[in-house]
Order: sequence, then C-alpha cells, then structure tokens
Amino acid sequence: MSGAQGVVERASAQLTKRINGLRRGKGGSGGGGGGVVERVTTALCGTVLPPPPPPEKPARCRSKPPVPPPRRTAILSAARRPSKVDELLLDDYFLNFLFRYFTAGERRVLAQVCSKWRDVLYRGPRNWAGILPVVHCRELKSQTERVKLYSSFVRRGFHCLALLSATDEDVVDLVDSYPLSAKQLHSLSLRCSSVTDRGLETLIDHLQALYELELAGCNEITEAGLWSCLTPRIVSLTLSDCINVADEAIGAVAQLLPSLYEFSLQAYHVTDAALGFFSPKQSSSLNVLRLHSCWEITNHGIVNIVHSLPNLTVLSLSGCSKVTDEGVELIAENLQKLRCLDLSWCSRITDAALEYIACDLNTLEELTLDRCVHITDIGIGYISTMLSLTALFLRWCSQVRDFGVHHLCGMQNLQVLSLAGCPLLSSSGLSSLIQLRHLRELELTNCPGATKELFDYLREHLPRCLVIE
Amino acid sequence: MPNIKLQSSDGEIYNVDVEIAKCSVTIKTMLEDLGMDEDEEEVVPLPNVNSAILKKVIQWATYHKDDPPPPEDDENKEKRTDDISSWDADFLKVDQGTLFELILAANYLDIKGLLDVTCKTVANMIKGKTPEEIRKTFNIKNDFSAAEEEQVRKENEWCEEK
Repeated sequence: MSGAQGVVERASAQLTKRINGLRRGKGGSGGGGGGVVERVTTALCGTVLPPPPPPEKPARCRSKPPVPPPRRTAILSAARRPSKVDELLLDDYFLNFLFRYFTAGERRVLAQVCSKWRDVLYRGPRNWAGILPVVHCRELKSQTERVKLYSSFVRRGFHCLALLSATDEDVVDLVDSYPLSAKQLHSLSLRCSSVTDRGLETLIDHLQALYELELAGCNEITEAGLWSCLTPRIVSLTLSDCINVADEAIGAVAQLLPSLYEFSLQAYHVTDAALGFFSPKQSSSLNVLRLHSCWEITNHGIVNIVHSLPNLTVLSLSGCSKVTDEGVELIAENLQKLRCLDLSWCSRITDAALEYIACDLNTLEELTLDRCVHITDIGIGYISTMLSLTALFLRWCSQVRDFGVHHLCGMQNLQVLSLAGCPLLSSSGLSSLIQLRHLRELELTNCPGATKELFDYLREHLPRCLVIE
Repeated sequence: MPNIKLQSSDGEIYNVDVEIAKCSVTIKTMLEDLGMDEDEEEVVPLPNVNSAILKKVIQWATYHKDDPPPPEDDENKEKRTDDISSWDADFLKVDQGTLFELILAANYLDIKGLLDVTCKTVANMIKGKTPEEIRKTFNIKNDFSAAEEEQVRKENEWCEEK
C-alpha cells in the first residue's frame, strides 16, 4: 500500500511540476496561470454530474469538513465528488442524475425510501411534471395534517390540485391552510364532491391564477352557480357527470368564458339548441370540443357546432349515438382544420361517413372509430387513402376482415394502430401489418387471430414498434 | 497507434491506446491542457480507480471505441432504461459493489456512455420495487419516524399521473 502511495505521489508531483512549468511558460498574470490549474483540476475531478447549487452543500461536507489534502496531491483529489460506494446513494448530485432514469410516477415510490431521497426529489419541481395531487378530503383529520400536506405540495412546486369528496368546509380549509394556492394553482379539479355553489364561488374567488377547471360528479353545483362563479380567466373547462348541468350551463360557458380554448362536456341532458350558444369570440378561441355521451345530440346539434365553431381542431362525439352519416358529412364539409376526430360508440355511422371523412378532411391526423359496428372493409378502403393520418383506432369494429387490414397496409404514415377486439381478423391477415414500417404502437388485445407466433413475428419485423397483447 | 500508461490506485500500470483512453474526457482534457506529447513515456496516475475497476473500464472503452459521441441529453426528458445492449448487459453482470465502483470511476473519468449504462442498470434494479425492498437491496437506512413515513406515503400515494 505504502509503495503504491509512493508511486502516486511521485506521479502527482510530476504533474504538479508540469503545471507549474506551464504557469511559468505562459508568464503573464497569475490569474491566467490559475486558469490552467483550475481547468486541470476540473478535468481531473470529473464534470459529468451537474455542478452543485451554491447554497446547498451536500450533507457529507457539512458533517465532515474536508481535510485539505497535501499540496502535491491536490490536483488529483476529487474532493467534491463522492468517492466511496456507500456515499453514492446519499449524494445529491448522483441522486439527481440517477432519478432522471425514472418516470414521475416511479419517483413517487423513490420519495418514500428515506429523507435524503425525498428531499432531493421534492426540491426539483421538474421531477413532478405530469403528476396531479389528489386530496382525499374525508381521510384528512387534523388541521396540522392538512397544513403539512399542502406545504409539501408547495415544496414540490405543484400547480395543479384535485379535491376528492370535498365539502364547503374543505374549501374554506384549503383557502386557510394553503394561502399560496391563490398564486400557485393553475388547475383545479373537484371530484365526487358535495361542494355547493357558494363553496365553488369562494374557491374561484380565491384562486386568482386559475385557468383550468374540472367539475366531475359535483351534484350540488347548479346552473345558477356556474353563472355566478365562472370567470373569464378560464381557458380549459371540463364538466362531467354533474347532474344539474344542462343547456343553461352551456349558456353560462358561452357567455362568460370568451377565451375558452378547450371544453369537455359529459352530460346526458344537453340538447342540440345549446350547441348554438357559442359566441363569435369563442369561434376563434375554442379549438377543442369533446362531447362525451351527450345522448340527446342529433345532426341538428352538429349543424350548430359547424356554424358556431368552424375553427375546431379536435372534436369528439364519443357516445353521441344519435349522430348519423349526415352529421359526419356536415363535419367533413365544414370543419377543415380538424386534426383529431373521435366518433367512437357512434353506432349509427356507416362506410358512407368514412367516405366523407376521406374526401374532405385532408389534415386529419387521428381518427377514432371504436365500436362503430357498421363499418366494413369498404369504409376502411376509403380511410386508407388518407395520407395525413398517423393514428387510427378501430377497436371492436366487428365487421372488419382481413381485406380491410390489406387496405391498411398501404398507409405508410401510420404510427399508431389499434385493432383490439376485431373478431374476424386472421393471423395471416394481421401478419401483413409488418408492411407498416413507421408503426410505433400496435394494439391487438382480444383479437382471436393474434397468436403467440404472430406476436413473435410482428416483434421481429417491427423492432421499433410497441406491440400490445 | 500511440499508447498511454494509466496507473491504478494500487500501482498497476496499463498500456492503453491513446484514442481509447481519450473516451475519458478527464484524460482527454488533461492531455490537451498539458500538451503532453503522445510519444512521451509518461504515466498518468488515477488515484481514485483500483486495478480491477480500471481493467473493466478499459475493457468497456475498447469495445465502445468506435461509438458515435452520445447525444446531448435533454434535461427535462426522462431517459429510457430498456435499451441496454446485450454486450453491455453481459459486461455489467457483476456484484453490486463492482457496479457502484464502475459508476464512481465513470464519473471521475468523465465517461458519459459508461456512466449512462451503469446508472440504467441501477435504475432497473430499483424499478418495480417497494420502498422497503429498495432499502433492503441497497442497504439504505429508513430514517423516517412512523408519523413521517405515513405523511410521505400519503403525499405520494395521493398523486396520480395525468
């Protein structure tokens, strides 16, 4: 050991001599010479992990002040870096680096390992992108518990929040124990809550930075409540499964939210008339409209949509089961900017609707036809001419046969395809899908023709594609 | 091809092709900054890397000498871990201690590709485990009080992916 140490020291001394030589050689200011030494030091101390944020020193440094190494070996010491294996998993820089190999969802588990891991993760709001904290109001007992929970959200830099089973008291409590929410919260979701109109008004008054609102399963909220609390700040609104939401609610949305960009509605009692309420301002701002299971909507409602909202880029009529081919014809002729169209569970539409779509919607990128049980290989033939299409969903289209798949094989731009639950497709029909060279995702769940051998064959020939069994 | 002599912390000297040694940014920078002539019989001491690990590092660098430079990584994007080549997977079938020594060496020597693949391997050992299993696997002390543990559990179980 001592012999080896000697070699290292000799070598270090040689390096030091060289550096001193360099410093002399360059002459000039000491600062310039220092630059070289610094560069070499940096080089030898490693630079892969990000440099430390100045105010926070690693715990290691706090607990054991570094002993200045002897001058001769100073250049080669890696004092700032973890040098022992057991330090590695408690080192801020290393952990920050390692945690980048995880999804935000996986980081939820990591934060529960020890306080060091939690602190490192909570410090970076970036670690929590795409995560929505959902407060189970009924399970929060004491005031201190609430304050602690909300302060952890502040620490993690959340801008969104969902309340589950909330009452008006929970709303008052949020305002009291999470004052920063006024500035921090951009997105709020109330789910299965008995919050009343008054509670909602208190909340929206308090949340001055809010621009995204979701009310799901809030049966105490009335249409009058929406009239009194919706603010023009809101650009994204989702109303689903709220028993009192009907045409009047759409009137409030149309009048009070001039900047609305995205509107998702799931309401059984909304009628065609309500879809004509949208204001001229909204016709340019509203880009995304999702009407889910709005059972009352007929082709007359579609007439109103295409007239009042000609600029839609995303339209979903999923489960609007009264819409027929004529309605789709209106959409195809008038909504030229559509990029995504969802007609799933529109059980009345037939191949004719697909002909309209294929002829007129030249910029359509995503088409969903799940459970459109009347469409056949002929309709698939129309769609297969659409060069712009990159994603196509045909789940449980029970009449599609191998010949339809044969049509699909010509769609060279297709990246995502689902044929899940299509009962008539054979293994050999499905095997021809290897012609779709740009496929990234292929869903074949519940396809009787999708055998183990087929999956192996597809995976072998489409190595970059995720094949979902 | 000119060679360079690398010396491990326990005094072993390895003769390595300069081009291979330069996959370590630390060594590359040092050679450039010091203007070492390639034909000089200098020994570069690496006091943070023992001979067993240095041997592995050289083996890795030799195999990967013709790799294109790794792309600049996007800080905001989470990295994949399911794309470890079969050679690397075999190379990293080592005990946990060695794996972590390799990470330290890759960090110290600034070899991005090796640091990347070793971290991926550690990440894969963590994925799918519970907090308790992670602690056991890596011998990490649970320093939460019971109340804190309950708190941190809630803070994270009450979070869903959008």
